[in-house]
Amino acid sequence: MELLYRRSLGPVVGAFLTALREQRLLGSRTAEGRVICPPLEYDPDSGDAVDDLVEVGSAGVVTGWSWVAEPRAKHPLPHPFAWALVQLDGADTSMVHALDAGSLDAVRTGMRVQVRWAPERTGHITDIACFEPEAS
Amino acid sequence: MTDTDPQVADDGPVRFMPQLISLDYTVRTNPVAAAFGEALADGRITGHRCPSCSLVFVPPKGFCPICTIETTSADEVVIEDRGMVTAWTVLTPIQYHGQQERKDYALASILLVGADGTVGQQRLIDIPLDEIRPGLMVEAVWAAPEDRVADDRGYGLGTAIDGWKATGEPDAPASEYEGHTL
Ligand SMILES: [Zn+2]
Repeated sequence: MELLYRRSLGPVVGAFLTALREQRLLGSRTAEGRVICPPLEYDPDSGDAVDDLVEVGSAGVVTGWSWVAEPRAKHPLPHPFAWALVQLDGADTSMVHALDAGSLDAVRTGMRVQVRWAPERTGHITDIACFEPEAS
Repeated sequence: MTDTDPQVADDGPVRFMPQLISLDYTVRTNPVAAAFGEALADGRITGHRCPSCSLVFVPPKGFCPICTIETTSADEVVIEDRGMVTAWTVLTPIQYHGQQERKDYALASILLVGADGTVGQQRLIDIPLDEIRPGLMVEAVWAAPEDRVADDRGYGLGTAIDGWKATGEPDAPASEYEGHTL
């Protein structure tokens, strides 16, 4: 059974996805100067509206992860991978996405990773195909 | 994971996100439904005749719901792939995601010759929508053998039959189907 939803995004998440299509990553900067990525419309500490969007890096550091040994049909990768929290360079929060690290042994908190862009981008979170270990 | 929508693939700001929510079911079959499916793959429609009341159920259920007794393969009978329309619905397809239909079409309940209950949701083929009527005689247009997949839950005829076309016979009299109309 399938249901196709069409969800309205608003000015902040909409801008984030628009930028993904252009291979850019945006975060929202709060009044205190914290950069939240993916961006939120509100400062989670104060509740104040946030409309200051800033670009962050397309690489960052793994702050937490969980290994998926047996991917399911709807997972973004057909082979074992990690769900990882990635704090992008310039951001103060982490985003969750798939990390294609090859093997469980290759994943560790603190490792450097970079975005692997989808070849065709449509303005969706899957424009980030996954993260991968940063090329050294 | 998610579907893509050509509406957001243009150059303007992304304002909407398509999100495909889907559920996959795994349904365990049962021996009665499995035997029915194997017969369908062979081009035969089978039913069970209740040894107590003699009513023939298609597809077979493995029990008679009226006598509340078990029926088995020993009670199996072969039903004709021909019968009469008892009721129908004309559907106008709305073009939602995944819709394969483009034009109005009819699904009918059909009382097969030799059965005491109708099979529902049967596609009528090459019959003008305004000529469908109770008692209209139709016969099965079988799918290619490799495409005959039974519904393992034991409902309906799966994909074994593409649809039903008019046989050209005189209509069945109302006395044959009046107990089966809605
Ligand atoms: Zn009975």
